[in-house]
Amino acid sequence: MTRAWKYVGAIWLALVVVLLYLPILSVGLASLANTRYMRFPHRNWSIGAYTDALSQHETLVLHLTSLKVALLVTVLSVILATLGAMAFARYDWRGRSAFQKVVVLPIFFPQPVLGLALLLFFSALGFTPTWKTAVFAHMVWVLPIVTLVISIRLFGYDPAQEDAARDLGASRWQVLREVTLPYLSPGLISGGLFAFLLSWSNLPLSIFTTGADTTLPEWLFSRVATNYAPVVSAIAVIATLASVLLGCVVILILRLIDTHGIKGDGDHG
Amino acid sequence: MTQQKLGLLFMAPVAAFLLIGFVSPILIVGWYSLMEPRSFDLNTVFTIANYRSAFSDGYGPPFFWSLSFAAVTTLTCLVLAWPTAKLLHRFAGRGAAVITALIAVPIFISESVRLFGMSLFLMPGGGILAGSVRALFDLSIGSVLNTKLAVYLGLVYVHFPFVLFPALLGVALIPQDRIDAARDLGASRWQVLREVELPLALPGLVIGALLTFVLCIGANAEAAILGGQTVTVLTRAVEQRFSYAQDWPMGAALTMLVIAMTAVFVFPALSRLDLNRLIRR
Repeated sequence: MTRAWKYVGAIWLALVVVLLYLPILSVGLASLANTRYMRFPHRNWSIGAYTDALSQHETLVLHLTSLKVALLVTVLSVILATLGAMAFARYDWRGRSAFQKVVVLPIFFPQPVLGLALLLFFSALGFTPTWKTAVFAHMVWVLPIVTLVISIRLFGYDPAQEDAARDLGASRWQVLREVTLPYLSPGLISGGLFAFLLSWSNLPLSIFTTGADTTLPEWLFSRVATNYAPVVSAIAVIATLASVLLGCVVILILRLIDTHGIKGDGDHG
Repeated sequence: MTQQKLGLLFMAPVAAFLLIGFVSPILIVGWYSLMEPRSFDLNTVFTIANYRSAFSDGYGPPFFWSLSFAAVTTLTCLVLAWPTAKLLHRFAGRGAAVITALIAVPIFISESVRLFGMSLFLMPGGGILAGSVRALFDLSIGSVLNTKLAVYLGLVYVHFPFVLFPALLGVALIPQDRIDAARDLGASRWQVLREVELPLALPGLVIGALLTFVLCIGANAEAAILGGQTVTVLTRAVEQRFSYAQDWPMGAALTMLVIAMTAVFVFPALSRLDLNRLIRR
């Protein structure tokens, strides 16, 4: 690549990033004024919208609803996906390639359609939709993704380590706890992060399956579609920062695991 | 235990969950779609009346718009993602890793937030763009908000990362020496792209395109937030059948048609892909 093309390439990449972040930045800018109508550039910049958002009880309720849904989705998906990933990537068995293709089907499925189908399903079974049914709905979509994420880690695993541990007298449980799981842990952590963030930000499934409960993205969507208020921008920023913060912490943990000890070759203490 | 038995044992929980959470809801929708119009109960008196009215009741426009938006968005995303993926691959290193991460982050930010931000950006008069232009250059500009163009921009914006990341996987499948060899043999830039790079990167591009196309068929938040009342997309039309019209069997029939349409695209593409090769890196 010539020098000139390198500059063109760099400018293109910068443009892509800027365009991706402009809308997100716009929410931040809009939240910094507390006027009835949006008139940018603001005459009076203020954080009034944030103090309003924080003083509303609703803000807390919305965050708590989203939090309990996302946490349950994370824990349940990681447990199930770990088992699924073993079948997906670890063992060689007849039917594996069919299983691999069936598992990814929910990812290649329009989410609002899935939400509607689950709503009919719940009502046919006589369940009233609440945040608990939303946990189930999110899992249908999140579980396949987490299974893929853990499988990617598992593909690099050398099963001979387990045999070696067995030969040295380790029990099946010890092998799992001291060889397999430590190796898998980065996959489990990133799988968990995916699960949490995807559930936390999900709109199309929540709309149909939460019933009377409301998650953050749902509330934002309903307020955005009806009437603008600066407090909506403020809550959007708070919810987004919460997830970005969590993401940073988890990535930091992954970095630490990577540099201290638990490596692919199982050489930890 | 043999690998065969262990494989079956470990796949069972996930398979059971998807059977309950994915397959049975679709079967229930299929059952509802065969019930008397406007009934709310499941019984064994079947009718295809709902499918008949689905074809005669003017659902053409929503199907047409959602399919067109999906096709145009997929093409646009492919055209934008290809050079981006090539550049990220070429610049491989710390800088490229940071940019890749920056492109990934928005996937995890709620669509409601991102589309809301886009509407704030495009808003006429006091919006971020129009307001800044007025303050800086003393110019009044129009706005594309509440048009089909805005819906299209929103769809491209939301789905671009879904094409980029599979495209990156695809680009990684191209060995550099193949490109060099083709060049040495006198192939033009265009010939290298068409006959070497695209075929080798095809699995990644197919996954990205398929994902985007399918997600766009179901997308309705873009039209709701950015499109005003200008267009009724497919899932919005289906949803209205359930909520306002209170006609579940008809809504279910429309849902089944959407699912069938999705399957027509997904099954042939997925059956030809080797996921092992792609994921293993």
